[in-house]
Amino acid sequence: MSADELPVPQEPADALAAVAALRRLADQLENAAVEQAMRAGWSWPQVAEALGVTRQAVHKKHAKRLISAGVTLRRRQ
Amino acid sequence: MSAIDHYINEVMEVGAGEARADGSAAVEAHHLLLGIAAHGDTAARTALATAGLDRAALRAALDREFEHSLNAVGVSPGALSLPSPAPDPDRRPGMGASVRLALERGFARVGRKRDLRPAHVLLGVLEAEVGTVPRALALAGVDRAELMTAVHRAADASPW
Repeated sequence: MSADELPVPQEPADALAAVAALRRLADQLENAAVEQAMRAGWSWPQVAEALGVTRQAVHKKHAKRLISAGVTLRRRQ
Repeated sequence: MSAIDHYINEVMEVGAGEARADGSAAVEAHHLLLGIAAHGDTAARTALATAGLDRAALRAALDREFEHSLNAVGVSPGALSLPSPAPDPDRRPGMGASVRLALERGFARVGRKRDLRPAHVLLGVLEAEVGTVPRALALAGVDRAELMTAVHRAADASPW
C-alpha cells in the first residue's frame, strides 16, 4: 500500500489514535517475528539487518526474553 | 513510605504486568487504570465497579479501542495470525508519557501530598481529554464526566 492509498481518518483524534495503535501493533509484531526468526535459526545480525536496526539494539531488546522462553540462540556474531 | 506511596507502587506494578502482557513497551495511563480497577479496597475501585468497570470490562473496552483505531487506517489486527510471543517475566517496562501525566494531574488535585488518595490518582487518569482512556470509555458508552462525579462522591464518602 502506498502512502497515497492509506486511508487517513478525517478526525485528528482518530488519526492520532491510529498512530498509537499501530506502534503498539508493531511492538507486538516485532516480538513475535523476532522469536519466529530465532527459532528458525536466524542469527542476531541477520534479524537486525532485516529490521533495519543495530544488532546491539535487537539483542538488548529480545535476548533475555528468548533465553527465558528456552529458544536456542545462535551465538552472537 | 506512606500508604499512598505504597498504593501507587502497587498499582504501577499491576500496570507493569498489564503492559508486559499486552506487549506494550511502556506502562501507559490505561495500564494504570487497569491496576486501579484490580487492586486494593479503595473508593476508586468501588466507583469503577459501580459503573460496571471492573478490570475485565476495562480490558474489553481497551481492546475494542485498539481494534477500532486500527480499523480506521484499514488494519485488522485479527487478520494477523501471529504466534503469540513468549512473555518476558523479567522485563520492566518504563513509565510512559501518559502515565506520568495522569500521576501529575492526580497530585495537582491536592494541596499537600499527605492528602493524596487513590481516588485522586484515578481522577488524574480520567481527566485526560484525549488518548486511549477517553476513547475506550466513550466506545464503551461511559460518560466520563459522570464517572468523575461518581468518583468524587465515592471519595468524599470514604477515607480511602
